[in-house]
Amino acid sequence: MTNHCCGPGYASPAEAMTAPREKLLYTIAIYTGTGIQKPDYLCTIDVDPESSTYSQVISRLQMPGIGDELHHSGWNACSSCHGDASMERKYLIVPGVRSSNLHIVDCGTDPRSPTLFKVIDGAEIKARTNLSAPHTVHCLGSDIIVSMLGDAQGNAPGGYLQLSKEFEVVGRWENSMGSIKFGYDFWYQPRHNVMVSSEWAAPNTFMPGFDLEEVGHLKYGREIHFWDFEKKEPKQTFYLGEDGLIPLEVRFHHNPESSHGFVGAALSANIIHWWKDAAGDWQWEKIVDVGNEPHPEWPIPIPGVISVILLSMDDRYLYLCNWLHGDIRQYDISDPHNAKLTGQVWMGGLLGRAPEVNGVKVTGGPQMIQLSLDGKRLYVTTSLFSTWDNQFYPEIRTNGGCMLMVNCDTENGGMEIDPLFVVDFGKEPNGPSRCHETRYPGGDCTSDIWV
Amino acid sequence: MTSFTITLANQGGAAFDVDHRKPLLQSLREQGVDLPYGCKYGGCITCAAKIISGKVDQKAQRALNNRQISNGYIILCVARPMSDCTLEVGVESHDKLYRNPFLDPLAAHELKADIATPLEAKK
Repeated sequence: MTNHCCGPGYASPAEAMTAPREKLLYTIAIYTGTGIQKPDYLCTIDVDPESSTYSQVISRLQMPGIGDELHHSGWNACSSCHGDASMERKYLIVPGVRSSNLHIVDCGTDPRSPTLFKVIDGAEIKARTNLSAPHTVHCLGSDIIVSMLGDAQGNAPGGYLQLSKEFEVVGRWENSMGSIKFGYDFWYQPRHNVMVSSEWAAPNTFMPGFDLEEVGHLKYGREIHFWDFEKKEPKQTFYLGEDGLIPLEVRFHHNPESSHGFVGAALSANIIHWWKDAAGDWQWEKIVDVGNEPHPEWPIPIPGVISVILLSMDDRYLYLCNWLHGDIRQYDISDPHNAKLTGQVWMGGLLGRAPEVNGVKVTGGPQMIQLSLDGKRLYVTTSLFSTWDNQFYPEIRTNGGCMLMVNCDTENGGMEIDPLFVVDFGKEPNGPSRCHETRYPGGDCTSDIWV
Repeated sequence: MTSFTITLANQGGAAFDVDHRKPLLQSLREQGVDLPYGCKYGGCITCAAKIISGKVDQKAQRALNNRQISNGYIILCVARPMSDCTLEVGVESHDKLYRNPFLDPLAAHELKADIATPLEAKK
């Protein structure tokens, strides 16, 4: 039940779970790095099973120029502003990692056919803030902050760009980066006055592709950082070592009272859990360790490479993708210290377990995921990042990416790929493109934070 | 101004006169060549091209490792010509740019310049 007297989003995670089923998705698709000289674009996908265009791209919004590498995105407003009737979840902020351009897309005027409202030029951002390579976008209740992974020359650690709600560059959000070496994702839990940030690498390191040797040369992250959210400065760092190589997606429980949170260490293929103990100190532990898998043609076993994790709105299930193995896993984390594997499906990947799904050859592996607010439908895309795709799944250049849907059993656990849903980005009008992050118009399981 | 002639071997041998002070990406795009690019600061590899002959100054690039450089790759958004050059451009030139890092590791001298061990120093 939505409270119409108030602003966007929902009063609580429990209320979010009762929202109407999503009917549209916004998913970015890229041509950067593919050889097709067309701009990246934002797709609108029909996910209303009653519609004649179900499981199809119904509109495409091209960015003004080529070479952005659209990647992640975020809303101008979420449940953080639920008490503010002047706010509206209307604009999607869609950054280009390579160009540093921020595209402000109006999804509210015509949700089925979004339009470009404004572009904040990457050159302006670099000149005014000495930042580049935008990644994660969160609204802070009014202003918006964006993790920026590099300085204006692509060196780490970058910082945080603050935008006003009118999409003007305010400047740097943080007061200090402390001794943080790298940036990537972040999430905050205001009732504990904490933000946690993770580490990928400098743009100059990860953008050209993945040189494994650079991990040993400490060019990739292995730490997570706990910030004093109000003071906007890092307070404590956990060195995760070999258990935490390349910690990427950060997720706190949606429950704003909870101190529990999780990060997926991509290269170690572990899930790291943290919480505040009875003495008020932050603690961490490894709760999932995905083993490397042998491959007949590889000299060493293949790591899973956990490219994403996500929590259901009720904080009961954690989902993760092993982009190189090709599986999505569902863990029951009712006891966050003790994750229980409750479901697993396969699509693509290098192990060859499910090369074709629903009649489409899956090139790449399960990568970005987005879960419906009720926890029952998980939408999955297969491309990670153009240069990394080109290294691990070179056929994606001609095959493109794809989107699938997984039906999730929220009562007993379990997952099943929906046999009727597939969006084949290999058949896009301008040629094969690659799909990455997805957002829902009404908010989703990675967009909303309760203050 | 000093100008050099840039020949694009995989675009029918089309030739362009360019200012030696400007990055090649800028000079070629200004003359209507449709090229891929991304960051425009030498860090992202999207605009990589292969140099068949000639010489460029690409000190500002940070994207290429030494193996890619020895395979002839240059980063057009920061590379400035030091002579007439013949290039292959676009993803058609990227046959040796990408490799699976687990199947085909780099030797110590093939890493990026800031962490590579020079071959001579190895013994």
